[in-house]
Amino acid sequence: MEHQRCYIYQPPETEERANKRQRTSKFDPQSRLPERLQIYRSVWAQQEERIQNTLEGADSATQENIVNFISAASSSPDEQKFAIPTALIVAGPSIASHGHFFERLGRRVRDANSAYIVLTSGECPNLKTLLKNLIKKVTSRVEDDDEDEIDRPSTSSRHGPKLLNYDLGHVEEWQKKHRAASIVVALQDSEAFDAGLLVDTIDLFHSWLDRLPFVLLFGLATSAENFEERLAGNSLRFLEGQKFDVIQSDEIIEKLLHATVASTDVRLHIGSNLCRRMLDRQKDHVQSTQDFCDGLKYAYMSHFYASVPSLLLKEGITFSDVTADIFEAVRNLPSFRRWVEDTLDDGRAQDVRNLLEDNEYLFDQVSQHIQSGQQALLSLSHAASVLASIRQAIQMSPTVRLSSIWIRAASGELSGSPLIRETMLSIKKIPSDKLVHLLASLRELEGNYFSIDLASSQQRLDSLLKNTDTPLRTQHDVRNDSLRTTVVAQKVLLSKHKAALSEQDRAYSDIVTEFHDRLETYFASSLVDPRTLFLSEILMYDLKSPHTEVFQPKPRFAIERALASPHDYLGCDCCSGVDGNPAALSATQPATAIVYQMYLESGTLINVSDLWSAFNAIAGDGSDENEPKTMALFQRALAELKYLGLVKPSRKKTDHISKTMWKGL
Amino acid sequence: MLPEEIITQLNAEFQCRDQQIRHLTALYSAHPPSPPSLNLYGLTATGKSSILRSYFHLARIPHAVINVRECITARHLLERIVAASLDAVEEADDGGKIDRRPYARTENLSALCVNMAKLLEGREKFVLVLDAVDKLREGGGTLIAALGRLGETIPSLALILTTTLPLAPSVLHSSSTAFLHFPPYTRSELLTILGAQPLKIFSTPPSLDQFPDYTPDLAAEDDAWLWSRFLQAVYDSLSKHTGRDLISFRTCATRLWRPFVEPVVAGQFGTRDFSRLMVNRRHLFQVEDWVLHRIINTAGPDDDMTTAAAKKKAPNVHVHALPYYTTHILIAAYLASYNPSRTDVTYFMKHTDKRKNKRRAPSAASFSVTGKRTGAKHRKISRHLLTPSPFTLDRLLAIFRALLEGTVPQVADLYTQIATLSSMRLLVRAGIGSNDVLEAGTRWRVGFGWEFARALGRSVNLEVGEYLVGGVD
Repeated sequence: MEHQRCYIYQPPETEERANKRQRTSKFDPQSRLPERLQIYRSVWAQQEERIQNTLEGADSATQENIVNFISAASSSPDEQKFAIPTALIVAGPSIASHGHFFERLGRRVRDANSAYIVLTSGECPNLKTLLKNLIKKVTSRVEDDDEDEIDRPSTSSRHGPKLLNYDLGHVEEWQKKHRAASIVVALQDSEAFDAGLLVDTIDLFHSWLDRLPFVLLFGLATSAENFEERLAGNSLRFLEGQKFDVIQSDEIIEKLLHATVASTDVRLHIGSNLCRRMLDRQKDHVQSTQDFCDGLKYAYMSHFYASVPSLLLKEGITFSDVTADIFEAVRNLPSFRRWVEDTLDDGRAQDVRNLLEDNEYLFDQVSQHIQSGQQALLSLSHAASVLASIRQAIQMSPTVRLSSIWIRAASGELSGSPLIRETMLSIKKIPSDKLVHLLASLRELEGNYFSIDLASSQQRLDSLLKNTDTPLRTQHDVRNDSLRTTVVAQKVLLSKHKAALSEQDRAYSDIVTEFHDRLETYFASSLVDPRTLFLSEILMYDLKSPHTEVFQPKPRFAIERALASPHDYLGCDCCSGVDGNPAALSATQPATAIVYQMYLESGTLINVSDLWSAFNAIAGDGSDENEPKTMALFQRALAELKYLGLVKPSRKKTDHISKTMWKGL
Repeated sequence: MLPEEIITQLNAEFQCRDQQIRHLTALYSAHPPSPPSLNLYGLTATGKSSILRSYFHLARIPHAVINVRECITARHLLERIVAASLDAVEEADDGGKIDRRPYARTENLSALCVNMAKLLEGREKFVLVLDAVDKLREGGGTLIAALGRLGETIPSLALILTTTLPLAPSVLHSSSTAFLHFPPYTRSELLTILGAQPLKIFSTPPSLDQFPDYTPDLAAEDDAWLWSRFLQAVYDSLSKHTGRDLISFRTCATRLWRPFVEPVVAGQFGTRDFSRLMVNRRHLFQVEDWVLHRIINTAGPDDDMTTAAAKKKAPNVHVHALPYYTTHILIAAYLASYNPSRTDVTYFMKHTDKRKNKRRAPSAASFSVTGKRTGAKHRKISRHLLTPSPFTLDRLLAIFRALLEGTVPQVADLYTQIATLSSMRLLVRAGIGSNDVLEAGTRWRVGFGWEFARALGRSVNLEVGEYLVGGVD
């Protein structure tokens, strides 16, 4: 073969069957991609609109307060001010969402005839740049950053002295022209600013305060006290203002979840595993609404991009839209098999045959089941919010958030769970004043998915309550019980006795019992396990590995694993270890991996000469002429470890390097 | 205006500065030559800038006042000097236009000399005031000296440099500069100045129908009487020790006034019951809340002690909770900063019995200051009062894992959190490394104190003190 320049590689044929069976026919993963993209876009556009509405609704109260504060500060422009009006906006540790908050705030502030400038720490390393940015943003002047003429906006000297481009005189001129009520300067991430820079800025703004109506907004991630500690007392004297608290991130997440995942008007549902994972990540690692939305969007994208049958979610789909391989895919779904088996158990073999052979029949069945599946999932979501609002209305403790109720419902755990039982029991005992509340709050949820006849209960209750002043109690209420002790043959007998119920109480008990029974049947019918539904793979997206790989990668773990057990990545026979022991070092492993595994066994300081002899014993073949080659391998391996930041030269001992990273951290 | 008239008017406006005003009138009047440079110095709030501005305004001497605090760079200062002088000269000429084109650029000191010489050629006296010249942000050692000698090359220019402390001859490089001192106000002066404008006892005067004999004149007399006594009390108890300058004193007095006269307004005491009022309101003078500068003014007008105490606790209600692992990272960072690394084995090694690692909270006996061996007083500064020492990222992560019971996956979120915390300045990178935040060799330290760490620990049920070497008091 050596004499040929190129040849056709023919893999050696093996008789055994491949470990992983591959599809032999040509498969087009891109099939019908434009249509799926379109469905994705229409579905996501709805969700995105809801997200925007929720976010804007969530902090509108705080923003209103801030805008009021600004307008109050600028209401008396002629009065001499001794301190800069300052708003400390405690926006919480989710810095990623601060930008959006200040952007939304800006829209409102600008409406009130004020100039509004957001500065971030990244664009303001020093006072000069800060002022340049400020002036540029206030006057909306575009200028090119020519290095040579950076300090002078115009080269012409026809008009006498010009202001330098970091002179606040520009703003003064602008202010004379525009007469803004106030110039609001928002420092988005105040903590990240250099403390000295903040002091300088405050000092400077204060000395201009008689000419320019500055209002300062500080966006804070930690707390106002923390921020005050960092400023000098002299700067604090120049500031005077109020603190504003932005709504906590976990409450916004709760609202977002309610609006998007647990909403009763979505076409693609998110599964409980994925949802739980996303919420846990919020609680444990990052608090950011943006991250939550991104996760949701990625889930939607993955579903429609990767799964061909997702086309069936299209609204008003007809048989001609669907190609044969989609039917093939549907027939391979686990839920299809389960359904077919159930149908067979019912003895409807002909139906099954039709399903397997007749595409048109299958299409009819699928479109029916998509409808009914949607219905089931939506009523499940609705039942979760009904349960949450019941618990809220009768103030049950512990308070369980809607998110956790929803996740439990979506994983099918809720039906018959202690949570439900406890709630139903307390409904049995509910006094009439609380029932009025409960009915009122449930009437808001009444709709397609929750069709209990509340009105009749309400009417009967109203007519009953007309005649009484005190709250009515049901027969299950403990206050109607009394304990009676009798001593019979020196033994104490305890017996429970129901107090005689009044006429009204009995009537009330009937109402409550009826209401309770209706609710119970409602919950029993709507709290199904969504994973048992036919076509749940299409209706619901619940794969966690794409999400984990994208949002929670493990870079350090991957590198450590690649170095410590290269076989996992290389997958070749030669590196799989000696005598079946995968941990053993062998000469066939990459040199860096060998050195790394020796590195793991050593202490903080490593003698390079010892390391080399150990390496030579494993990787070298003992002959002198090959030693330079082995040495080259060793040096390259060590250089790679240094490049990865695992070792660094040490000055403590000669010929030693120090270990800087430990495995598994 | 004649010098004598100026003096009278200024004296009426600025009390207790008679001598300084006379000095100014003597030095800077229209005809006799003025010193080429003068250093006017005095502590903050002693009336330097205001008197200078008013004086030159009244005396109608061509002058330019430049607030050096507003100048970012030395170049900025020079440009401002020329621009302000041009404006001032034009104004002195009654709107006569000067051709500004030759003055377009003032890059450096020599350009300034040329421009100013050109501008002031053939003119009479021109005074240039550089206010707060010691607040100049950049400009090296010789700038002030060179500015100070500007008057030597341009005869018609008289320069005034105001500073907080007198400029040393070594800074000025000359011994011919004149000095004028504005001493801080004494106690009696402060009382006279503030006593001239008494605050009102009743923010809304009592209705004339109810108290027909309490006339506005009588009210003003009462205000002045109570205010002067109140000022003395404030000065002797608080301002004497915390801030003796006019502004601090005035802020403190205005803040205290409303709570002080509250019983009078409520009708509990008469307007002249000063001693009883003083005893009743003595708690106001015993706490330092009123003299501290805060951005958020918690001390409202109708505060008494109970609400003040309640408000102190209130800010903790709205603390934004950090995520679970982030809290642990911060605690680990605090421990890494304040524990010597050699003790890590004792505190964080995984034993079977976890409780062995922790130490009991120290008893009072262990804090006795007498050393047994020497008998001399062995005083040690508590560790958490010292600056945090730097640690490497791996040590932080190791302690973080030791603090948690279960295992934490090695996800990138941990590094994201570290980056986030460093942009909140809760973790600070020590020293100047490369720009890579997560580089292995980078050393970190914490940017918060013991109180914050303890609160963090309690939010996740972890007593940080048990892991801290040296204990807590």
